Formats: sequence, structure tokens, C-alpha cells
Amino acid sequence: MGRIAGWLIGTALAAAPTLSMAQELTVWDWKSGDPAAANYFAAVKTAFEAAHPGVTVNFVMQPHDQYYTLLGTALGSSSGPDVMLLHGGSQATSRAEALRPLNDMAEGFAGVADFTAGDKTIALPLTIQGFVVYYNKALYEAAGLDPSKPPQTWDELKAVCDAFKAQGTVPCFAMGNKEGFGGDFFLSSLAADLFTPEEQAQMATGDLPWTSPHMRTIAETWVQTSQDGWYPEGANATAKFMDEYEMFMRGEAANTIGLLSDVAHWKQFEEFLGPENVGVYVHPAPGTSDLRLPVSGGIGYAVNASSANADLAADLVKTLSAPEQAAIFAVDTGALPASTAVDTSALSSPTLGTILGLMNGPTSPLAHAVMAPTVMEEWHRQSQLLVSGETTVDDALARMEEIRLQAKSN
Amino acid sequence: MARRTIGQAERRFAALVLLPAALLLLVFRIVPLLWGFALSFTNANGLGSADWVGLANYQAVVADEAFQDALVNTVLVLSTLPVWIMLPMLLALLIHQGVPGGRIFRAVYFLPAVLSSVIVGSIFNVVLRFDGSLNAALKAVGLHPVDWLGNGWTALLSLVTVYLWSTFGMSVLIFMAGLSTINQEMLEAAKLDGARFWARLRFIVIPTLRPIIEFVAVVTTIGLLTGMFGLIYVLTAGGPGTATTLPEFLIWLEQGKLNRPGYAAAISAVLFVLMAGVAWAQVRIMSRNADL
Amino acid sequence: MAAAGKRERRSLWIAAIPMALLALSCVYPIYFAVNNALKTSKGYILDRFGLVTDPTVQNFADAWGRARFSEYFVNSVLVTAGAVGLLLLLSSLVGFALAMLRFPGRRFVFVAILAALMIPIQVVLVPFYRTVEGLGLLNTRVGLVLAYTAFFLPFSIYLMTAFYRGLPRELLEAARMDGARFLEVWWHVMLPLGRPALLTLGILNTLYCWNDVLISLLVLQDRRTLMVGIAALRGSTRPTCRSSPPGSCWRRRPSSSSTSSSRGASSAASPWAP
Repeated sequence: MGRIAGWLIGTALAAAPTLSMAQELTVWDWKSGDPAAANYFAAVKTAFEAAHPGVTVNFVMQPHDQYYTLLGTALGSSSGPDVMLLHGGSQATSRAEALRPLNDMAEGFAGVADFTAGDKTIALPLTIQGFVVYYNKALYEAAGLDPSKPPQTWDELKAVCDAFKAQGTVPCFAMGNKEGFGGDFFLSSLAADLFTPEEQAQMATGDLPWTSPHMRTIAETWVQTSQDGWYPEGANATAKFMDEYEMFMRGEAANTIGLLSDVAHWKQFEEFLGPENVGVYVHPAPGTSDLRLPVSGGIGYAVNASSANADLAADLVKTLSAPEQAAIFAVDTGALPASTAVDTSALSSPTLGTILGLMNGPTSPLAHAVMAPTVMEEWHRQSQLLVSGETTVDDALARMEEIRLQAKSN
Repeated sequence: MARRTIGQAERRFAALVLLPAALLLLVFRIVPLLWGFALSFTNANGLGSADWVGLANYQAVVADEAFQDALVNTVLVLSTLPVWIMLPMLLALLIHQGVPGGRIFRAVYFLPAVLSSVIVGSIFNVVLRFDGSLNAALKAVGLHPVDWLGNGWTALLSLVTVYLWSTFGMSVLIFMAGLSTINQEMLEAAKLDGARFWARLRFIVIPTLRPIIEFVAVVTTIGLLTGMFGLIYVLTAGGPGTATTLPEFLIWLEQGKLNRPGYAAAISAVLFVLMAGVAWAQVRIMSRNADL
Repeated sequence: MAAAGKRERRSLWIAAIPMALLALSCVYPIYFAVNNALKTSKGYILDRFGLVTDPTVQNFADAWGRARFSEYFVNSVLVTAGAVGLLLLLSSLVGFALAMLRFPGRRFVFVAILAALMIPIQVVLVPFYRTVEGLGLLNTRVGLVLAYTAFFLPFSIYLMTAFYRGLPRELLEAARMDGARFLEVWWHVMLPLGRPALLTLGILNTLYCWNDVLISLLVLQDRRTLMVGIAALRGSTRPTCRSSPPGSCWRRRPSSSSTSSSRGASSAASPWAP
């Protein structure tokens, strides 16, 4: 035991903190250990350190599930990171008071609105995120459908799902709602087509009542599609990431609502199904012929307002989201860049071509991403209970409205 | 030797031994705890600013339907406690009595405990999901598949069963350690006198094991209330609805996802009181039995 | 008498059957994990249950080569060894005192330790972090050793106390009669007698410290322990082997950052010690 104590004192002395002489900027993210993004982070480090001699950039990757817990713990104290990666929407805007304004740098980016609180821009977006429906052309053909003509209206989509139901081999849509993300994605996909500009604005400020007609349409359609057998059994026990998408990649479901960046996107699906078998379309909604692509800022970099080197850190954010660096990230990971100056010609795939075309058409913000966190959490729960039949549309909407008002009053 | 000096030496030694432990606990556990309690009276948002709001958080917790559901789930989970104590104790006894292959069992039972809960969760995710291996087995013998994790009742039951599977080996190990203090000569003598297994259990084994039983009961209770986060996260994410939401998961949700540390602290305080109550009752029951 | 013994033997043989089945269920995950760790990412997604057809050790090689894992490993070994040593020393001393010695306030100390056992970790995160920071222990291995010791000490003391309470107090009195000092009683009597419990405790605490992610994340922010390195990989990327024992599951490729929701997972501390 005495030896152990002596050894302990030994390590204690050996582990004394070493103070760095040069200036150091710390960046927190959940990406920098990812081999696919390695070239991007190396490029940023090289470019920034060359332009600022004596400064070291230190990327610290945190586990994603504890990321915001850790950030909340560190932000108030002096030891928080200088720069941090954030998701667009409420995770970014609810931290606005701890972040340095970046308004003067926000020119030339799409999706800045999702990183803006009031009139303060708090982060520069790196990627664009959004929802499209990906479909398996081989399965369409097997069900007697024309794979070159994806559904453009709600009735056409119903016809597609009826065909898959009649055939009975695979479900129409893969569905994972274990965390309630299935409900989120469905809501945002339909809301993009349904909501008027006024309703979108109300949604963003938390003023759109859940009892309004379009909200009711969404909830009723969610229940109806599930009763009509669009989804496989066990949706509430299936994780969206990645159980649902793996099902689609194995060719066990005909359609899935997927993403534009990061994962569950064209690049990943093409890898499994072959580029010739992946198709893409915008999710239609009942009662309207409008088709709008739901998109928003994906992830972006913000500066800690209490950082000792806040201005230097803002410079780093500029480098992190600069066109040359963002292009590397886009090409390597298949994410859609937020900087409008990025050259995407190196990304080539028929599906991506369709997506880029859709992005030039009508778009709409992601409705679920602007919900207050407590409201979103309740929608996760209610969307599960609606699928399992443990609640009715009326009860669920009444509960959602109650939570919305509570969130609004706080 | 005078009695006085024994007492004095005893006290001095105890104080000397307790001091470093007490200091560590005070600095790293008690002070943060009190600090955390103080947070529960504020509207802290995790960004540094916080205003005093009195009991508002506690009022909100009591009125919170998700928290009420979590309390009901807690009671359901705690009602399985006897299984958690008796099963490992029985297994440890059988191994101690020389069941064939006992040494191997003891080692193997501990294997799941070595795996972190995330890994256990991932494995059972594949086993229990609707198109998982358990349902495949049920279908093979002509039974109906069950949506184990997608149904309120079965989800909570599955969760508890998986957690039991992943931790019973530790309790077996602890009971084995406790059994090693039993006076072997007494046990052999009883055996020679013809005392059956159950009689030996009742009159020799259980009385000796009493502190260990109490320990396993208390620690298991605390584990059920504060150790299931990893499994919940991977297997059910608290759902469907709130069917598998336990207070601990709610705390994480409020703190990490909803960004309301003050509110999370209030739930934690309630959870702490709840645990202390259950543990106190257990210690009381065990020590009353000791007097019988 | 002999008949009774024979019957008992038979009962034990019968009991061995369900026990063996239970044991089998405990081995299955190991097979599952190793089998899948040898699959490629694509192979796993396409066939989760089947036996690996084209085994690859690339997953292991990838993981070791990337992100300074050997350095993380050294950190984990040093910190775990330090904390477990300290925990065994302190808990056997305090357990001996609480179970055998008579001193005023014994009950209070015991209750305080029980209470410390019940603190949910999430609520103390912020204050704990500030305390560590205030003591200048942030980003030091000593800080992490002390933090682990403090976190798992109530559990360890409680176990040692429960164990020593099963021993007769006459042991202490007999030794004292022989003129031994308390420290000598502890060293010559309590430590040897406590071996089964200390062994158990050593195993459990090693697991807790080794598997911990949350405390390590807070204290060692720019150096890492192994499980944190793994958790960080898991959080950011898609699984290649999905389910495998600690230290052998690696994930590749981008994922997450999809919506404003978090995913991936890591356990807070350990299954038992809160």
C-alpha cells in the first residue's frame, strides 16, 4: 500500500499541468476525429496557422450525446472553448447570449437565418440541411411502377404506397420513430408544402397554434398513413439513425425521408444501392399541389463571447467556413455547402444533380427545427402515441397546444 | 490496559482514518451537491446568468406530467427489487455449495457486467426490435411476434430485464465474497448433524449475510434509479410516449437537450429524497430483523 | 445422512442445467461482438446475424492508428490504477473503522456516506466542474484520480463496511489483547481477512474507472482516456462493428448532425456506482 501511495505522488508530480507559451485556440466539435473530415480539419489548421504565426489551433472532439451538456457546463466559465460547432435552430439560438455576434461576416452564406437570434448572427453555417424522399428504383420497378416518374402529388404518392401494399413484399416507407425523429421529419416535410408564409413566420416565433387547420392535417395524415400500412411494424422501436436507413440500404423498404448532408443522404445510399437505383423527390402533402423543399442551415461555427481571444477566434471561424475549406468538407463527406461561393462541380451524381435543381426551386424552412425544445420533445412523445393508437389526434393536439403556450409564457 | 485509553486510541485512529476520505467526499461530492441544490432555486440556463426563482421549479416539477409518469415507472421498476436480491443470492449459494461447473459460472456470469451499458444496449437492440432475433425465434416456433420495445408495458419490462441480465453477475460476486466469511466448521458440523440445505440457509447463512443483503438491496435500488441511463438511451429513448422515462433520463433531457439546468436540479433533488427514503426503509427493515 | 448428501448432490446437478443456460446467454454477446468486429461496415449493415465470411482486422488497425489511441490507453491505465489503489486503501481503512470501532458520530458518518452514494451525477456536473477548475486540477491526471476516488468511494466504503460487519468483533479484541495497535490490526488481521471483498471491489472499481466517460470528459479535456476516445468516435460516425466489448468497437464515416437532436450514446459513469 505504501508503494502505491509513493507511486501516486510520483504520478502527481509528473502530471503537473504544462502551460503553453504561444497563443492557442480551442475548437469543440463532434466531427474532427472523423476520417472522412480529416482533410478538411488539416486544411483549416494549416491555412489559419500560416496566416497567424504563433497561434495553434486545437480541435477537441466531444461525444455527440453529451455535447450540449458539456458545452452548458463550460460556457459560463473561462475554460470553455473559443470556437464551437453548433446545430442550426434552437440549439444555436438558445445560446445566443453567450456567443459573439458575427453579423459582419455573414455575407454569402445560405441558411444564416437558422443561426440568427433576433438580429444577431451567432454562427457561420458550414452545411445546408434538409429533407427529401429517397426511393429505390429497383423496388419501384418490381412493384410495377415507373421508376423514372416519382410521385409529384399526394394522390400519386398514395397510389405508390397502395401499389406496395398490394404487392406485399416491402413496406412503402422505412420508418424509425424510437426517438420521435420520424415524427419530426414527417412534420417538417408536410409543413414545407402546407404552411403559408404567415404560418411559417408564426411557427418561427412559437405563435402558430397546434389546433390550426394545417397542424391538424399533419397530425391526421401521420395517423392515417400509419393506419394505411405505409410503415413497417415496430416503428416506435426502430431508431431512425441508422436502423431505419439501414433498412432502406438493404432494399427492405421502397422510400425513406432522408437528409441532404452528413448521413442518410444520396452519397451513402448510392454506395449501397448503386447510383442507378437511387431516386429523389420532394415530399408532397395532402390538399395542396405546392412542392417546397424543406431546408435550413445545418451545422455552423460560433465564437464564445467570453473567450480571451474572441477576435482571433472570429477569424478562425472565417477560415473554417471559407469557400476553399468548405469545398473540401463538401467533396469528402457529401454534405451540401452553405457558402454560395463553393464550387460543387467535383460532386457528381445524378441524384445530386436532381437535388441541386430542387434547391434552386421553391424552398421552405424546417418547421420542427424552430420549435421550442420542450415542444419538440412533447411532439416526439405524442407522435409515438399517435402511431401506437394510445392517443387521439384531438388529445394529442390539445396537449401540444398546452405545451406550446407553456413554452411561450416562459 | 485501562478502558479509557482504549476508547481514546480507538477514537483517535478512527478520526485519522476518516479524515482523508471525508475531505475527498466533502470537496468533490458534498460541496457540488449543495451547489446543485442551490441551482434548483434559480432559472439557470447554462450560460452563466441565473436569477432566484424560489420554489417555482419544484412547483413545475410536481405539475409536470412527464415527471409524474416517470414516478409511476420508478415504482414499477422498484417493485422488481426482490428478484434482484434473491436471484443472485441463490446463484451464489449454489456455487458456494459446489454446483458442478460453479467456478466457470461465476466467471461467466460476470461477463455482461464488463460490457458498458451502451454495448449491452446495442446488442439487445438487435435482439429485441420488431425484426430482431427474438421475434424471429418466436415466429419459428409458430408464435406471434411482439413489439418488445414499442409497447409501453413490454418496453419497461424488457429494459429492466436487460439491466438485470447485465448486472446480476456483480451481485453474485458480492454475495460470494460475503459467503466467504461464513464459518466453514459450523457449516460442516450442521451438515454432519443432518441439517438440510434450507435449515442451514436459514440459521447460519442468512444471519451472516445480513449486512451483505442490505448492501445489495440499497446499492441495487440506487442503481435502478441512477444507473439505467445508458440502456434507456440506446434501447427506448424514454418511449414510447413516456413509458420508459425514469427521473434520471428526464434529468439528462432537461439538462442536455432542453437546456434547463435549474429545472433538472429540482428533479434531481426530488429523486435524491426519494432514494434516501427507500434506502432508509431498507436499512431499517434489515436492522429490525437483526434484532429478532 | 448419506442419503441426504446424495439427494443434495442430485439437486445440485439439476440446478446446474438452468445455470448453464444462463451462462450461455452471457457468452453470446462476446461471440456477437467478435463476429461483427471482423466484418466490414457494409458487411455488417447487409447481414447483422450471419457468420463473418470475409474477416478483416482493418477495424482494429484503423482505430489504433487514428486519434492517438496509444496515448489514451496509457492515460486510462495510469488513472485507473491510481484511483483503484487509493480506493482500496481508503475503503478498507474506513470500512474497518465503521464496522468494528466505537466512536461518537459513527452513525452520522455512515448515513453521510450512504447519502453521498445517492447523488445523481447529472445535477452535480456544473458545480463539480467548477470545483475541479477552482482547485487547478483541470486537465491533470491527478485531478481525475481524485475525482474517481471521490465518486466511487461511498460505494467502496459501504461494501467494506458491510463485509467487515459480517466478521465477529472478537477478532479485534483478541488482537488488541495481544497488544497490537489499530494500524497493525488492520494490516495483519483486517486486510488479509478482507481479501475476498477487496478483490471484488478491485474488479468493480477497475471496471467503473475504465468504462467511465462523463467524469473523464469533464476533467481531462485535452488529454483523453480510452473510453472517451471511443465514445467520441462513436458519437460522430457510423458503426463498423456496432456491438463489441469495450476497447474494440470502432465507428467510421460521418453521421449525425442531422437535426437539432443528439444521438450516439455513452454511459454516465458505470452501471452501479452512481
